[in-house]
Amino acid sequence: MRAHSPTPAAHEHWRPVPATPAPVRLSLPARARNIAVVRRALEAIAEELALPRRLVEDMRLAVTEACTNVVRHAYSGDEADEPNALRVELRPRPSGMLVVVEDRGRGVGPSPDSGGPGLGLPLIAALTAELEITHGPDARGSRVAMLFVPAIEAA
Amino acid sequence: MTGAAASPNGSPGTTRVSIASGPLVGPVLRRVVGMLAARADLPLDRLDDAVLVADLIASRAPAHVAAASVDVDLETGDRTLHLRVGPLRPGGGDALIVDATVPGVGNVIEQLADDISVQPEGEAEYLHVRLAYPT
Repeated sequence: MRAHSPTPAAHEHWRPVPATPAPVRLSLPARARNIAVVRRALEAIAEELALPRRLVEDMRLAVTEACTNVVRHAYSGDEADEPNALRVELRPRPSGMLVVVEDRGRGVGPSPDSGGPGLGLPLIAALTAELEITHGPDARGSRVAMLFVPAIEAA
Repeated sequence: MTGAAASPNGSPGTTRVSIASGPLVGPVLRRVVGMLAARADLPLDRLDDAVLVADLIASRAPAHVAAASVDVDLETGDRTLHLRVGPLRPGGGDALIVDATVPGVGNVIEQLADDISVQPEGEAEYLHVRLAYPT
């Protein structure tokens, strides 16, 4: 797998992930407790599709990290409790999965408590075959599209 | 159908899951419902009930939805789990409940839920199911 360098600068050059119909879509308040709901849904699909264990572990980690970014950075105050604050689409592919994590807040960015970019995005980049990060108008909202494929196909 | 289920429609804390009709409806819905039933602190037997209701909805709802997906809003309260299923086609709410009848057992959703109601919204309708455990 690891089709891309985990360096943040490489984000600019990653190919867009093509869109397909989304079989499973979750809309939740952007609260930490809901990350487990996303993980459960992801695990259910992975189990049903008999995806490779290593791939599932990569997906779990990357999707958790992407959702955590939304929970920690996208909103302040009660905005996080809106039903659409955290949106996740899980789109099975012939082999692997496309996962899209969206917010309508400030989007992904540096950690205010660390003063700079953390390890989250490089980690996601290292775990995905393709990664696309886009922002809404006026930097409002972000969309993180992650394509996961078994390691042998991404090599 | 009667009942007094309050609506979780769009209120803070609502989790919405939308699953394209097909083989993923059951596995995803039962996991999400099980997770939220546990969060609602439902005891194990009521958690099992909630998962069984989820399985029935997953297996029956695709025949009655207004679109190509099964949409469920879920809201947790104090030992309460509220499901709002839909949009369903007109008549789909009652039909879904009737479809949940198991020969020799009866209507499982009606037996397990504390409240069931079918409420029209626009051109569609929604099935509301509430499972609770007395505190």
